[in-house]
Amino acid sequence: MLEIKDLRATVGGKEILKGINLTIKPGEVHAVMGPNGAGKSTLSYVLSGRDGYEVTGGSVIYKGKDLLDMSPDVRACEGVFLAFQYPVEIPGVASATFLKTAFNAQRKFRGEEELDAMQFLKLVREKTKELGIKDDMLKRAVNVGFSGGEKKRNEVLQMALFEPDLMLLDETDSGLDIDALKVAAEGVNKLRSPERSALVITHYQRLLDYIVPDFVHVLADGKIVKSGDKSLALELEEKGYAEISAA
Amino acid sequence: MKNRTPLAQSYLDRFETAVVSLPGHESRSVQALRKQGLDTFAALDFPHKRVEEWRYTNLSALTKATANEDLPSSDLDAIQTAILDAPFEMVFVDGRFSNEESRLTGLPEGITVASVAAGLGNGAVFSLSSEEDRALFALNTAFMEDGFSLHVDDHVQSEAILKITFRNESGDQNGRHIRNIISLGIGSELTLVEEHTGTGSYFSNPVTSISLSEGATLNHYKLQNESHNAFHLSLTDCENAKSSVYQNFTFSLGGKISRNEIKTTILGENSESHLNGAYLMRGIQHCDTTTLTEHKVSQNISSQVYKGVLDDDAHGVFQGKIHIFPDAQQVVGDQLSKALLLSDRAGVDCKPELEIHADDVKCSHGATSGELDDDALFYLQSRGIPEDRARKLLIEAFLADVLESISNSTVKDYFNAIAAGWLAEA
Repeated sequence: MLEIKDLRATVGGKEILKGINLTIKPGEVHAVMGPNGAGKSTLSYVLSGRDGYEVTGGSVIYKGKDLLDMSPDVRACEGVFLAFQYPVEIPGVASATFLKTAFNAQRKFRGEEELDAMQFLKLVREKTKELGIKDDMLKRAVNVGFSGGEKKRNEVLQMALFEPDLMLLDETDSGLDIDALKVAAEGVNKLRSPERSALVITHYQRLLDYIVPDFVHVLADGKIVKSGDKSLALELEEKGYAEISAA
Repeated sequence: MKNRTPLAQSYLDRFETAVVSLPGHESRSVQALRKQGLDTFAALDFPHKRVEEWRYTNLSALTKATANEDLPSSDLDAIQTAILDAPFEMVFVDGRFSNEESRLTGLPEGITVASVAAGLGNGAVFSLSSEEDRALFALNTAFMEDGFSLHVDDHVQSEAILKITFRNESGDQNGRHIRNIISLGIGSELTLVEEHTGTGSYFSNPVTSISLSEGATLNHYKLQNESHNAFHLSLTDCENAKSSVYQNFTFSLGGKISRNEIKTTILGENSESHLNGAYLMRGIQHCDTTTLTEHKVSQNISSQVYKGVLDDDAHGVFQGKIHIFPDAQQVVGDQLSKALLLSDRAGVDCKPELEIHADDVKCSHGATSGELDDDALFYLQSRGIPEDRARKLLIEAFLADVLESISNSTVKDYFNAIAAGWLAEA
């Protein structure tokens, strides 16, 4: 699914990622944990193709193709989905318009027929019902005036709609209370399948109680310093990053 | 002798010969009015950048030319992607009323519309006046050739759209000096759409005077989609009597250099004046919006909201002044100008101005300019929306609220379709 080799990247001329190696097979859920400033968000932005994050070395192969060579929209159409740590507010763009435009752009890319307004509304209503999202959210501008929980729920709704092959979750737990966290995790778990993979980026262990990873990696100063199974997350929680990173 | 601009001198030189072919040349009163306008213009010349109100709009490309062929040209052309479905239409081609192209039969009783040229020909001066300190107004008075005279009787309210089209197909030495007169009777209501289009190089200088009686409502929409080689300098004056409502929405896409200047004077209590608009400019277009709202009495509301999208080397200007006279209490005045710059070379000048001589008023003003939000752009792209489409979505979003403020849904759809057409070319 995803093969990251010696990935190096700079932001504003400063090297943040200093040689990342990580392989994710279909169906696997990997967690990347690390202290603030380790490069966690940079990793998610590099993988989703954000401007200003310059790759200076290494490679990322996604489903046999060079991921770094694709524009952000093509990555999305190829099945990469980034759930943002801070979903962006877009005044003037109704959520329904945004979702339909994105959904149809992805279908068009895959050579599938676009859905009309009625068909799309039916589909999106099924998903909002499953996730306990009120329909009036669709009429509101994208993320404008949404609470932290609503914003994250909106990310999960998009994930449910687009059905990506690779989910990148950037600090999905930040700013969420435990109930909202459970809803978000359930949404992700529902999508887990033998063909679908996830990279869960988080500072705290608690999200991993709900989205249980197959592998846990510790990111410190732009490198993966330790890898293990889910017990590594508990160990981190107990001992803290400093001890593990130094070990 | 004063050092005049070549174009001003050429107008003075040709007045005597030109006037013979202008309407009303056999009427002494019309002649006297024209002469008065010419004298005022002769003393003022065209506005230049040292005139405070014209600091940001340089007319030298126009005023150094003495003939149409000398006007500079752009290789962009006006685009019009939608047609307004209006039951009544009055058409002016090259500044003259075209009876053949107009559709005015069945106009509701109590609404009279006529050609100003016909009126001038009969020696009628209407309520025309010359202007002491506005050169373009004075020039218009000297050379006015036609326009519409519209009157709505007391208590007549019409929902049907009356469209007035000004189409400029060939250049003319004298320019297009259109003079329009609108008067609405007590408690009357009208929806008017004014549309300016054209091809080639020309100078269009329309002047519109509006008088609203007590309780009258005028929804006045204007589409300025002149040729990209045209100069469009327009003046609109509106006087509000008690409890009247003036709503103006000006949508500007055309012109090489354009200026939309509106002056509203509120003379009666419980009146409203709303001046809104949008402008979409690219290439080397320059678009100036200048408003002056005078509150002369208490208990009134005024607002001005303008949004502009500027691409390439285009330039926008917004000058908005709210003037509240002594003792005009309990006045609410709000003003907002926002510009979206799509290129590093595009720019905007803003000059909001509040002059308040009363103590119990509520006024606000704001002016911003900025680029597309990178975070929003990336968010949209990260969901599979191609960059080009994402940019357009954000531009539409920027314009959404001001276009949404259009109260007539037919006009709203029309302007939205035209905006979409503009965006499709981006």
